[in-house]
Amino acid sequence: MSQISCEQVDELAGAYALGAVERDEDRSISEHLATCDEPHVEARDLIGAEAALAATAGDVAPSPGLRDRLMTTVAETPQEHRPQAVAAVTPPAAGAEPSRPWWRMQPVALGIAAVVLLLVIGLGAWGLSLNAQLAEREDALRAVANADAAFAVTGSAGSGWVIESGGDAHFVADGLAEPPAGQIYELWLLDAEGKPTAVGTVDDPDSLVVVPLEQDLDNATTFAVTVEQERVEAPTSAPVLVASLEG
Amino acid sequence: MTDDRDVDARLAERIRAGQAQALGELYDRYAGTALAVALRVVADRSEAEDVVHDAFVAVWKKIDRFDARRGSLRAWLLTVVRNRAIDRVRLRRASVDLDDADERSLLRTGPNPTWEDALQRTSAADVRAALAALPDEQRRALELAYFEGYTYREVAEVTGVAAGTAAGRLRLGLAKLRESLAGSAGAPLSTVEAVLSEDIGR
Repeated sequence: MSQISCEQVDELAGAYALGAVERDEDRSISEHLATCDEPHVEARDLIGAEAALAATAGDVAPSPGLRDRLMTTVAETPQEHRPQAVAAVTPPAAGAEPSRPWWRMQPVALGIAAVVLLLVIGLGAWGLSLNAQLAEREDALRAVANADAAFAVTGSAGSGWVIESGGDAHFVADGLAEPPAGQIYELWLLDAEGKPTAVGTVDDPDSLVVVPLEQDLDNATTFAVTVEQERVEAPTSAPVLVASLEG
Repeated sequence: MTDDRDVDARLAERIRAGQAQALGELYDRYAGTALAVALRVVADRSEAEDVVHDAFVAVWKKIDRFDARRGSLRAWLLTVVRNRAIDRVRLRRASVDLDDADERSLLRTGPNPTWEDALQRTSAADVRAALAALPDEQRRALELAYFEGYTYREVAEVTGVAAGTAAGRLRLGLAKLRESLAGSAGAPLSTVEAVLSEDIGR
């Protein structure tokens, strides 16, 4: 059915809305609705009915392992519009113990040129998001104005920066994902031996996060963020954000 | 108050940016409904969980094709789930070849927010009650089409009526369901019924 009339589209409006037409009819109706000058009000009104019928199915709790299985698959699956990238930080597979803790693994160094480029891009992004919170803006701008170095932080929870300025360091991020209910983000600095030191927490990320780190970056090679129930002395989960501090 | 669609729109943006955690949050919101739909269609828990898994992976991979102006992320996800489930059932029945169910899901995501608006205001129990209140032949046609994956021609065959009658029952059943959920918005039902009585009479 390559051609279809307005009358046929209206007759099949309910079947089309439910995907209950033949393939060639489905394509023909979609093309017709996309190009026809007639409003086809009823046909368009019925589209979306699937959401209502889905609601009548109720709710069934998935098996406990399904979420982990999904997240493992997603971590290995590039998106169509980002074919070279996968999720920046991947959680360990369910039940699989890594051969050594993630914080013992060698960080990937960023080049000086990349750090400088990312700093320029980051300044632009901050300029758009800092208007809302004056005090944090001042902290952030002061850190940026005196920045000696900036390190891009990326991962599944979002992105941000570690800014080093005058011996102090700040973690700055915009639009971080909310941690799971009742949990917090904990910030870590790792030395060359992979030993983690807790340097702060983020309890309630709003649009802009500016956190002074509790330790300078002198002996640190990696910055990381994990999700924890409460502040702890060593990470209990895989990082959701990481940055190499080696340029 | 934050609308579910606002939350979903933000999740879509984060998924588009490659944040796997956002997909996890989408899963936490809708996996239960998605599994219920898949289970109702394929009637096998293990297979239904495969469908849900594959549907969320499809959302992850194809998020850049999703256009929030054409419908909600929830609606798209559940359409992907249902189409994938139905393709499995149809494959068992060997009535159609598998093709890209996700493409059809995108095409049929509509710009009209009426259903989503109604669902924001009503409970699942209300929707079930509205479905139960339909005449038997219309409810049966909708259930065969939505949950069993039958085309209107197959609904006609199963229920022993002409194809035009089956199509008419689906059309009128949905129109009544929509009117129950959305009040008087949209095309007046009396107009739809008048047209349908002519269609079915042919």
